[in-house]
Order: sequence, then structure tokens, then C-alpha cells
Amino acid sequence: MDFLYSYIILAEVYVLLGLSTNLLVGIAGIFSVSQAAVFGVGAYLVAHFLMTETLGFIPALVVAAAACIALNIVVTLPSLRVSGDYFVVTSFGIQLLATAVFTNWTNATGGANGLPGIPPPDLFGLPLESTGQLVILCSVAMAIGGLAFWLLMRAPFGRLLRAIREDELAVAAAGKNVLRAKVSAAALAGAFAGSAGGFYATFLSFVDPSSFDLDASILLLTMVVVGGARTLAGSILGPFLLLALPQVLTLVEIPTSIAAAMRQLIYGVLLILFMLFRPQGLAGEKL
Amino acid sequence: MVWLQLLVNGLVTGAALGVVAISFALIYATTKIFHVAHAGVYTLAGYLAWSLASRGMPDLVSLLVAILCCTVVGALIQHQLYARLERRRATHLVVLIASLGALAVIQNVIAATYSSNILQFPVPWGSRVETFGSVRLTWTQILTVVLSVAAYAGTMWFAHRTILGKQIRAVASNPFLAEITRLRPQRIYVIVVAIGSAIVALPGVLVPLDLGLQPYGGVTPLLTATIAMIAGGVGSITGAFVLAVGIAVLQNLSLLVIPGEWSIGVTFFIFVIFMLFRPTGLFAKAR
Amino acid sequence: MRQVQGVRRALAAVVAGMVLAGMVRPAAAVAETIRLGAILPLTGPGAVVGTQEMRGIQFAFDAVNAKGGVQGNKIDVVFEDNQAKPDVSVLSFNKLVDLQKVPMIFTGYSGPSLAMAPLATRKKILLINAGAQSDKLRNASPYLVNTLPSTGDEVAVMSKYLIQQGKKTAAVLFENDAAGIGGRDDFLDLFPKAGGTVLAQEAVQFGQTDYRPALLKLSAAKPDVLYVVITAGMVPLVQQLKQMNAGFLVAGTTFMADPAAIADPASNGIIHTQVQIDAPPDLSTAFKAKYGDDMDFFARQYYNAAQIMVTVIDKLLTEKKPITGENLHDTLFAIRSFQGLIPMEFKSNTATVPIGINKMENGKDVTLLKVTAE
Repeated sequence: MDFLYSYIILAEVYVLLGLSTNLLVGIAGIFSVSQAAVFGVGAYLVAHFLMTETLGFIPALVVAAAACIALNIVVTLPSLRVSGDYFVVTSFGIQLLATAVFTNWTNATGGANGLPGIPPPDLFGLPLESTGQLVILCSVAMAIGGLAFWLLMRAPFGRLLRAIREDELAVAAAGKNVLRAKVSAAALAGAFAGSAGGFYATFLSFVDPSSFDLDASILLLTMVVVGGARTLAGSILGPFLLLALPQVLTLVEIPTSIAAAMRQLIYGVLLILFMLFRPQGLAGEKL
Repeated sequence: MVWLQLLVNGLVTGAALGVVAISFALIYATTKIFHVAHAGVYTLAGYLAWSLASRGMPDLVSLLVAILCCTVVGALIQHQLYARLERRRATHLVVLIASLGALAVIQNVIAATYSSNILQFPVPWGSRVETFGSVRLTWTQILTVVLSVAAYAGTMWFAHRTILGKQIRAVASNPFLAEITRLRPQRIYVIVVAIGSAIVALPGVLVPLDLGLQPYGGVTPLLTATIAMIAGGVGSITGAFVLAVGIAVLQNLSLLVIPGEWSIGVTFFIFVIFMLFRPTGLFAKAR
Repeated sequence: MRQVQGVRRALAAVVAGMVLAGMVRPAAAVAETIRLGAILPLTGPGAVVGTQEMRGIQFAFDAVNAKGGVQGNKIDVVFEDNQAKPDVSVLSFNKLVDLQKVPMIFTGYSGPSLAMAPLATRKKILLINAGAQSDKLRNASPYLVNTLPSTGDEVAVMSKYLIQQGKKTAAVLFENDAAGIGGRDDFLDLFPKAGGTVLAQEAVQFGQTDYRPALLKLSAAKPDVLYVVITAGMVPLVQQLKQMNAGFLVAGTTFMADPAAIADPASNGIIHTQVQIDAPPDLSTAFKAKYGDDMDFFARQYYNAAQIMVTVIDKLLTEKKPITGENLHDTLFAIRSFQGLIPMEFKSNTATVPIGINKMENGKDVTLLKVTAE
């Protein structure tokens, strides 16, 4: 059962991240490829508080979420000044910078060695050690995140964000506060990513920079696009599917010495075919 | 005199990186596609040349065949993948994910065929050293600079002095207008990606000649080249080349003042700040 | 409405995904096959090392199986690709343990091993690491066993030797990852203790083979010796050192002993500590014939680790005990001393092995002296 549980927990963590990415990239149209960096800051912060026993899990999660709200606003700020592809590349830069900090700020992050021995999460002093308990915790978190996302999409704020993506100038001309809407979206996305980091760190009990690098950011984008941009269903589907895919591919029998490369190759082919034949994703609106 | 040797090494690395940047710039400025699979083409060039050279082919023939093959591969990617996506009106994000898929395919075909070991070219003349005052350079490095500068000059000549080059620039600046004048943008796109792939094959062979081949080694140069292109100003071949050289020199010389583990971080930090103050790049033309 | 429908579809797909994930290769019910696991980076940049490790394991068990297996039991290893990522490793670990019921898993790379260590303790699964040298692996879990000494032992031997040779000032070139940083920290600690001074240090990224900037900066400090802790990309390194025409001695760890680098004339005169693990010539020839690559240090290490497991399993079968992680663990420490490619003793979770100092000369790696670290 632990395999299934650990798969569900990781997928749920990625759902929170998917919601964050979807909110920024899909809905607000802020094409960020540095979400893994924000995720990482959340993970390192929660790990830090739990390991030094300064805070319990829930307070640590709140602090991490708050910090990531601030951070995400800062890293998406350039999007107000730099547009389109220029922002994508700026965002690349931010991601690479973050990886350098995670790897080299050894005192805070354990550097390339990572931080082992992060305590399990606790609910007001009661430690949750078994994978079964963690599944429940993460499922609740995912449900709250999903609900928030769904409510938001139905609210006027959601419509405003969509309108901004379609035509920013028109929205501004209509007297709406574009800046405030974008900053709010970034803040919410930051909260999602930061708390996802907290669940990730406590579940794995280990963090190192390789979980928060450019590959991770790109995986997140892929999850959102494959699942379907701008929908709740898409943000849930993508992570569950893309996390299961490598596991399913191990069903394919290949001579061992090249098996791993062949499976990655199949993954690439599937990605291409999927983009060709279902570019809107499994449950998405047309991008 | 360490700084002098560092400067010269930076120029050598930068010249090769500059060719990657101009090839990407050519493709990006015209097709507006974030052609990540370009990193795969770059890597493929080295492996093809290695295969031929280690089977006793003359070095020059190996290089030329590799360039030819890459031209074909590039044209195929545009014609079979990007053109299809374009017909289905796929968004930038979808094209990017498809391109990532293509990159995964190329990288893993290489890994499955050649294994992941670092391969060295069987060219003993390459590591012979020439001394200029206190500066030492290998033949490979000298060849890299000479051919890279030639490639830059050739590309400039091609883009500004030939009819095809002018057509490409016409399509790049306004595809709709070009279509009206019967330039058939889709045909031009295939040609552009083919040419870009041919150009990138040159550093794709020269860099591994010096530093060895790795199946997943193309991503970092491409990323740095992309940043050079954006910072240089999209559409400016000179901008891309100069900025690539600048970044490489900066990374080399920065070692004099900061530890090497931070040099990538600092480079990207400078880049992010730069983008905030000069969002359209250094060499951008008025838009 | 659309949204609700979408959510329903999402739920259906989630369930489908879980079912798919759950039915991954059900454990085959062949009684005489003993199934073990290995979680290694087989794609991505880490694959340079991971593939060799996989080959070492495969090569060893293929040979055992060709002779009829261990007391008639064939051994089957399920390889999982973790791309050197900790989260994928945890998923793979649970998969191997839950679905394939493996009692032990070969691991490499310190990040993934550290992520799996608490699980190994909880579930009593033996983890054998034969490739990563981070000091943190020593005490990560009673169930994590390292068949190679951590870098500290090698650094201690080399530091002493260097001082004896009158090389009192050093510069360090290290890889910016767990292995390299661990080695650097040990050197910064032990070399001064032996009586030397470290003048400068410089990092390079893993797999990044342009060492020139770092080498230039380090050589400007004019050290007697350059100490190198890098795990991959040796040939470009020795070539670039040669091209620099550097005046200092180059010293390294076991990682230096890449067969391709030894064969390269540019490596003449480089010394390094060596975990004394040599493959007999016929073995390396057979390996090269099968895979087309030399049997390098990592392949030898994992070949050796696989042989240790064969010995342990053999004893368990003789004693008619079930092959569980706990029994494997206890029996390994009951046997304690192994004679594989290398005599090896487990006084703790980390093996004590003889370490030598080698010098690369004209395409050969010549042993200058042998010591056993404390």
C-alpha cells in the first residue's frame, strides 16, 4: 500500500503546484518557469522550522506560505515591465539563480548534500508518521486548494484575470486595476507553491536542490499543459497522469542496458503526439 | 597574467556559444518558436561527427556530413512537427512542450545508441598547444575561434546580401505582409530552421572536440545562448553573438573576484537586473 | 456544468492512473527466483555513473545465473531509474518493496540514498551503497551499508603522503555536489592537520568539462599540489592540465582512476588514492566485450557489492532462513569479512578497505604503497 500512498501524496503535492502554475501561466498569463524555485523556498523554510523545533508544522506552513507569497510577487514583478518571451527568459534566469542559491548557501540549505532527517508533520503536537495519515493530510490540503481555485474561478476576480490575459489594454481602459489583479494572482500562486513545499519536505524527510531545479519547473508546465490549462480538473489530472506515466512505462519490457533511455524516448514521443492531437490537454480549454 | 588567459579562454568559449546564439536567433526571430529541440540538434552533430571520425573518415568529411545531417533533421522538425502544430493553431506553450518532447527523443536516442559515457574525439592534433606570449591555446581552440567568427560573418553576409536572406528577414518582420507578396512563410520557416541547424552543427562538433561528448550536454549552452539572444535584442544577429561572447568572458573573468560555484548565479543575477532596466535588449531596433 | 463534468472526468482518470500505477509488473510467482532491486540514475546527466553501476550489478548476477544461480536459485534484479532525484527514488523504493517484494536495494548517489534511508529503517530493507561517499551516509540508517569508505579515509591517507613528499601547499578543485563538497571539506580539515596549508579552492559543476577557468585561478596561487575531487569527466581534465603545462603535482581520489584517463598520455605523473579494487584481466576483458566500455571503478564497485550479496544470500539459504531485509542485514554483519574483488570488513555500516596510493605512468596505474585506513 505504501507505494500507492506515496504516489498519491506526491501527486497531491504536485496538484497544489499545478494549481499554482495554472493560476499564473494559464489564467493570469504570466508565463513563469520559476515556480519550482518558490516551491523550494517553501520546502526549505518548513524544513528549517521543524528541524530547529522553532515552530510546529501548521505555523511553519503558514510562515512558509506567507514568505512565498512575498517571494512570488517579487519574482513575477518583472512581468509588469517585461512582456512575453522576454519575461520567460527572465524567469529562466530567476530559476537558475535560485538553484545556485539552494546549492551554494550551505549554512541554510545544506548545499548540494541536502537536508536529511526532516521530522514528519504534526497536527498541533500530534505527529503524523504513517503514510496513511499523510495521505489524509495531503488530500485535505489538496481539497482546500482545489476548492479555493474553483471558487476563485467563479468569482468576478477570476473573470477579471481571464480578461486581462485576453486583452490587458482593454481591461485597463475599462477602469479595472490590472496591477492589483496580477499581484493578487501571484500572491495566491505563491501561497499554493509554498505550502506544497512544506508537505513535500515533511513527506520525503529530505530535501536537496535537485527537486527544485529547472527540470522541475518544466515538469510542472508539462503537467498543466497535459492536464489542461485553466481548469481545476486539468490541474488535478496532469500531475496524477505524468507521475504515473514513468511507472507505467516500466511495464514495457526492454533490454536493461538501454531500458531507461528508451522509456524516456517513449515519454518524448507521447508528449509530441499528445501536443499534436490534444493540444488543449485532457480537460482544458483551448490554450 | 591569469586574467589575460581567462579573457582569451572566455573569447574562445564565447565565440562557439555565439554561433549557437545566432543560429537560435535566426530561427526564433523568424518562426517565433522556442525551439528547445535545437539543443538536441547541437548534440546530435557532435555524435554524428564522432561516429564517422572514429571509423576512420577524414575529419573534414565528418564535420561536413554532420552539418548535412543536422540540416535535414532541423528541416524535418519544422516540417513534420512545428508546421503541423501551426496548422492546428497550437499556442506557444503547446509548441514549447512539443519541442521539449522532441528534445527528449533526440537525447535518448543518442543515450541508447552511444551510452551516457563522456566520449572523446580520436583527433590527436586537437590538443597540440601553441604559445602566444603568456597565452596558451590548443589547436582545437584556435580552430573554434576561426570557424566561429567565419560562421558569424557568413551568417551576416547571408542575411543581408542574399535574396533568400532578405526574404527570411521580410518574413521575420511581417509574416502576413510576406504572405501577400507570395513569400510562403511556411516554406521559409523550413529553410530557416534547416539553416539554423546547419549553423549550430558547427559548434556542436567543435565544442565536444575540445571538451568531450555527453548526450544531455546541449541544454546548458542553448539556455545561455537564449539568454544572450534575448539580452542582445531579438532579431539582431550581432547582438546575439556579442552578448554570448560577453557572457562567456564574464563567467571566466568573474572567477577572479568570486568563487566559481557562484559564477553562474551571479551571471544570471546580472542578467535579471539587466532585463529590468533594458527589457528589449542591448541591440534592439526601434519597434 | 462543464467544470463539474471536468472534475468527474478528472476523478475517473485519477482512479485509472492509480490502477495503472498499481499494476506495474506484478511480482512473478517463480519460486526459485530471488528478486533484488536497484535504484540508480539511468537517464539524465547522472547516467554517466549510473549506467556503469547498473552494468556492474548485471554483469555479476549474469555470471552467477549462468552457473545455475545461488544454490539453484536465479537472481533477478529490477532496475529503477531515479534520474538522481530524491522524490522519484522514494516512489521507486516503495514500488520495489510493495510490489516486487524485494528485500534489498542497491543505491548510489547520496541525495537519493539519504531520502530512502528512513524508509529502509522503518521497513527493514537493506540498502547497499557502493558509489556515494558523503559522510552523512555513515549514520543515516542501520540498514544503509556502504561498501566503500567515505572520502575522509582517502583524504587522510593522501594528506599524510603529500606532507611526507614535502608538498606542503595545496589548492583544491572540487565538483559542486555532495561527493565533491564532502571531499573538499575533508581536505580542508585533514591537510592542515597533517601540517599543510590550503591556498585556494575552486568548484566546477558536475558534468561540466571546461575546467580551464578554475585551473587557471588555482594555478595562480602557485601550490605544490592540486587536489582534485571530481567524479566524472577525467579525460578532459587531464588533457587540460597537460595543455596548461602546470608546474604542480596533481593528486586525486579513487574517482581519478578512469581507465580512459589512465590510458591517455596526458595523465602521466598524476597520483591518487585508490580503494584497492582491481578486476582480474579476464573479467575486465569479458566486461569490455559485453558492453564495449572499460570496467571502470563504479562498475567494479557494484560488481563487488553484488558478489557480497551473493555470499550473504548463499549463507542464508544454507541456514534455511527466509531472505528478508532483516536477515540479509544481520547475516552481512555476521559474516563481516568478504573476499570479492577486494578484501572488505564491516566493523560499522561503512566498510574498511585497503587504500593505496597509485601513480599514473605510461598508460598504467602503478601502486606506490598500500595502507588500511582506520
